[in-house]
Amino acid sequence: MHHPTSTADLTALIRDAAARAQPLRLVARGTWLNGGAPVSTTAEPVHLDAFSGIIEYEPGDLTITVGAATTLAELEAVTAAHHQWCPLAPWGGDAGSVGATVATATAGPFAHALGLPRDLVLGLEYVDGTGKVLRPGGKVVKNVAGFDLTRLLTGSWGTLGAITRVSLRLRAHPATVETWAVAIDEAHAGDIVRGLRRSATPPDACEALDATLAVQLGLGAQSQLLVRLAGNAAFVAAARADLHSRGAAVAADASLWMRLREAPRAAVARAAMSPGVRALNDRVKRTFDPANILNPGIMG
Amino acid sequence: MTLADTLRAIVGETHVLVRPAELIVYESDGLPGYHRRPSLAVFPADADEALRVVRALAAEGVSFVPRGAGTGLSGGALADGTVLLGLQRMRKILEIDPVRRVARVEPGVVNVSLTKAAAPFSLHYAPDPSSQTACTLGGNLAENAGGPHCLKYGVTLNHVVGAVVALPDGEVVTLGDPHGTGDAAGYDLLGAFVGSEGCFGVALELTVKLTPNPERVVTLLADFTSINDAAETVSAIIAAGVLPAALEMMDQATIGAVESSIYAAGYPTDAAAILLVEVDGAAAGLDDDVQAVDRLCRAHGARDVRIATEPAARAKLWQGRKKAFGAMGRLAPHLVVQDAVVPRTKLTALLAQIAEIGGRHRVRVCNVFHAGDGNLHPNIAYDAGDADESARVHLAMKEIMQACIDAGGTITGEHGVGLDKLAYMDSLFTADTLDAMCRLRDVFDPERRANPGKVVPVRFCREQRPHKSAG
Ligand SMILES: Cc1cc2nc3c(=O)[nH]c(=O)nc-3n(C[C@H](O)[C@H](O)[C@H](O)COP(=O)(O)OP(=O)(O)OC[C@H]3O[C@@H](n4cnc5c(N)ncnc54)[C@H](O)[C@@H]3O)c2cc1C
Repeated sequence: MHHPTSTADLTALIRDAAARAQPLRLVARGTWLNGGAPVSTTAEPVHLDAFSGIIEYEPGDLTITVGAATTLAELEAVTAAHHQWCPLAPWGGDAGSVGATVATATAGPFAHALGLPRDLVLGLEYVDGTGKVLRPGGKVVKNVAGFDLTRLLTGSWGTLGAITRVSLRLRAHPATVETWAVAIDEAHAGDIVRGLRRSATPPDACEALDATLAVQLGLGAQSQLLVRLAGNAAFVAAARADLHSRGAAVAADASLWMRLREAPRAAVARAAMSPGVRALNDRVKRTFDPANILNPGIMG
Repeated sequence: MTLADTLRAIVGETHVLVRPAELIVYESDGLPGYHRRPSLAVFPADADEALRVVRALAAEGVSFVPRGAGTGLSGGALADGTVLLGLQRMRKILEIDPVRRVARVEPGVVNVSLTKAAAPFSLHYAPDPSSQTACTLGGNLAENAGGPHCLKYGVTLNHVVGAVVALPDGEVVTLGDPHGTGDAAGYDLLGAFVGSEGCFGVALELTVKLTPNPERVVTLLADFTSINDAAETVSAIIAAGVLPAALEMMDQATIGAVESSIYAAGYPTDAAAILLVEVDGAAAGLDDDVQAVDRLCRAHGARDVRIATEPAARAKLWQGRKKAFGAMGRLAPHLVVQDAVVPRTKLTALLAQIAEIGGRHRVRVCNVFHAGDGNLHPNIAYDAGDADESARVHLAMKEIMQACIDAGGTITGEHGVGLDKLAYMDSLFTADTLDAMCRLRDVFDPERRANPGKVVPVRFCREQRPHKSAG
């Protein structure tokens, strides 16, 4: 087991492992080690929890830079103190780390309205499979300097580098937020969600829950739509009226969103790759992890 | 058979240019100051021809530079003795799907044409570079272009869902998830391709999101007697949690240039700065946001706030902003266009620093920029024929860029690195990071034939392989 405490440690350890062709398993908070396909059983765990904490936070910029192993809960607490938040809020809850959320590109209920991880990450620091410390992107909200290694790493499942720092875009808390549950007929869930998202006053989250999940969340035995309306008071009032016109909406507790995020979810099947795209993927991996030591196997 | 003959056989006699007199128009892009002559220019009609051209170039090992409308502001589309692959004839909108809210287009489609074509469905293409009446969607993809409304709606990256790409070796790949079938497998190669400035291959087809037109739009013009007050208003609006669709700033020098041009928009010429703020979205609640912006502007010293709700009045307010670069271009024969980004809270300090630097070097900086994003465009109009003035302009620019980097910012927010910003890349990134960027380019183009010499200074790319030029 390895426990690097600096990028220099991480560099040395990755170089050494590469020389020995020793696979490594990157672990941040260890809350989702069964995510992705199984990693080679001979891999030695590398615990990255030393890379945590808030590195730079200027609320007026609506951006933040944190150590990659910082928990989502800490990110939430620190930003909430300034009436801000990061819409990453991934499925799985807030015990996991910011770095793993980015590495796995895990979205959550707010992604549809407020952006996927790739839309929210501004820059990174990471150590690639050759032991180089790389710092692509930056901490400002617009940046096109250089080729986009930040997007490449987002969703790379730790196979191209161990992420040590992440800069993110934040949002201000909306003035008014309400959560509503609407009993629905599951067969029409898709249509209802689409209709709401296309209304003049779209919600910032809207998830259909099947009956099992509805029971788990204490919403009764029927399928439900969980809706979050956010904006200024007049907007939310109009959105609420619209929602009521579509079904019997019942005010629900905001904490349901966390419970929904924490509830087990079926894995999403991934699309097949064309041979050309497969060849590019293989080339990316060989370029940045030539010894094939970083989380080998996890992307299937 | 010469390369020109081979290409003529693919695209037809009239779509291959080889004579210097015909190539002159392709010697520069939107940024005056750089001139590079291609050896040949070829203009395919469709994806099939474009692919055959790319394959013919690959077979000969010839370098090439993709080019859209040539409105780029970093010298990115210049071909120096290599082949210029012009995509401007590929301007078909292949499909508009109002149900999925996506459009499939050829790369040469002009940005605003898509918005016009989507209008019957009450949809539009959101990223709106100020050059939108001329620039192409392929060029937007390659530059990851932004625009005034990207503050709320996001940049090109956030709006492209798929691209069919010809890799420089002639292989065709579909990146992203154009059909919306679910998660694309593997690495985010589409994300890597967006903003690759023509160095990773040629986009032959793009699938982009269409955005519903807002129910209501209101444009505010706030005028300030102090540039500091204007800059602080920007931070105050963002901090208040109002997310305007656009939040643009122009300083007195820019206002003067605009008002003395044919694009005059009725801006107050005695103002130190103006803010153009657009609030859009659902009709419900919009007035409250407009009032909040109005209040914040006045609380921070705005002398006057004009509110435009009618399309004609709004368009007039916007016209001056959209044509500001053109108006500045009339002040002197040459114009340096900059594109730095700083953290929003540093705007006030940076504007003061820019004024100080400009004053010290006796150059006139005009600022017109996407203030909500901290994306500055400190531009300087000058006469390149005057050696002393040119030297001062370049010194001032170097200091301004360094000040932006020191403030935690970046050297380009939307125009790309191209040739023009190459010199700043190593002040921003470490040698290892620049080398990694070269390695990423090598994944797509191991022979380094696509747009050679751009984006990353060659000295940072290990194992540089020689490439052949045409002609
Ligand atoms: C007055 C003015 C205002 C502007 N305002 C803005 C603004 O607000 N925001 C902004 O972001 N930009 C702005 N620009 C810059 C410019 O318009 C954009 O960068 C635009 O995206 C370039 O598009 P183009 O078709 O002209 O590309 P070109 O200039 O022809 O090419 C630009 C780059 O893209 C590559 N390229 C072009 N097509 C393809 C393709 N199909 N496949 C692969 N690579 C390709 C080229 O090789 C080159 O590197 C402005 C320019 C002007 C002149």
